[in-house]
Amino acid sequence: MEQIFIDIASWPVSRAINESSWIFAFVQALHLLSLGFLAGALLMVDLRLMGGGFSNQPTAVVARDARPWLIGSMIAMVLTGVPQFISLATKEYESPYFRWKMLMLLIALIFTFTIRRRVAYAPEGRFGGGIGKVVALVSIGLWTSVAINGRLIGFFS
Amino acid sequence: MFDLALGDSFAWLRSFFEYVSELETSIQLRESQYVMPWVFVLHVISMCMFAGTILMMDLRLLGVGFMQTPFSQVQRRLFPWQMAAMLFSSLTGIALVYGNPMNYVTNIIFWVKMIAMAIAGLNALAFHFITEYTVIDWDTARIPPSGAKLAGALSVILWANVIVAGRLIPYALTWWRTY
Repeated sequence: MEQIFIDIASWPVSRAINESSWIFAFVQALHLLSLGFLAGALLMVDLRLMGGGFSNQPTAVVARDARPWLIGSMIAMVLTGVPQFISLATKEYESPYFRWKMLMLLIALIFTFTIRRRVAYAPEGRFGGGIGKVVALVSIGLWTSVAINGRLIGFFS
Repeated sequence: MFDLALGDSFAWLRSFFEYVSELETSIQLRESQYVMPWVFVLHVISMCMFAGTILMMDLRLLGVGFMQTPFSQVQRRLFPWQMAAMLFSSLTGIALVYGNPMNYVTNIIFWVKMIAMAIAGLNALAFHFITEYTVIDWDTARIPPSGAKLAGALSVILWANVIVAGRLIPYALTWWRTY
């Protein structure tokens, strides 16, 4: 397993990113900008699920409007995340935060595209408000833990 | 490459940052091994909340997102979260500068971020007092008026600038030799 990470880190493209003083920095900056859009697309639906405003709009309408921005920002996250990973693959292999991030990301993605999707797109009133609140809080919690572990990769490893 | 000369007119700013850096609590914060990384983490989380709720409102202003919801509803729903997130990110941001003032005072990228934030604030105020005044006329319009689009576009560009500059602040120390 470790050998795969060593191989990835030695690819010419990985080393080029790693050795450039500015490519890595700008990829990181764009990763953070994409995170802003991702957080927004998630929060629009989660805040609606938590109740309060938007009450004239069914959650499904908000979720459908958020969808292109959710998918688009996820693609941007991957496109700016992969270059960071390959250029630091050997370091990432050893980082517990990287492993936590990937695990939480997997859980967050599965949750978002199964349970959360089902509840958000359900006809209004199909699920009680309590279920919506729980789903919104779990969604926010899962994605926050992805972001926290992502930030920690850079500090302790 | 670039030597950033702040000049005499900014001397007071430099002495203020120097004064802060010598305060006991600033030194303690700087030397704490675990507090600072967690303040960074909280700053990123609050940024997500702030940028997320601002950018989604901007998409609505631009007419490219959430068009099935009237603008006033999007704005009313997001406003308290935007304000809470602004407070939270300001507090964590101030703590970061407070703990390490000399890393920021001569850092050109830090000042680019600060100026972009100030302009973004003015843009939001201008929108509030001019274009939003007529919101009743375009609240559900399929295509928002050019004033709304302009406010949305400026906001996206300025806040993107703030996020990107924020992430690049530590690199300025290696890219440019500052005094």
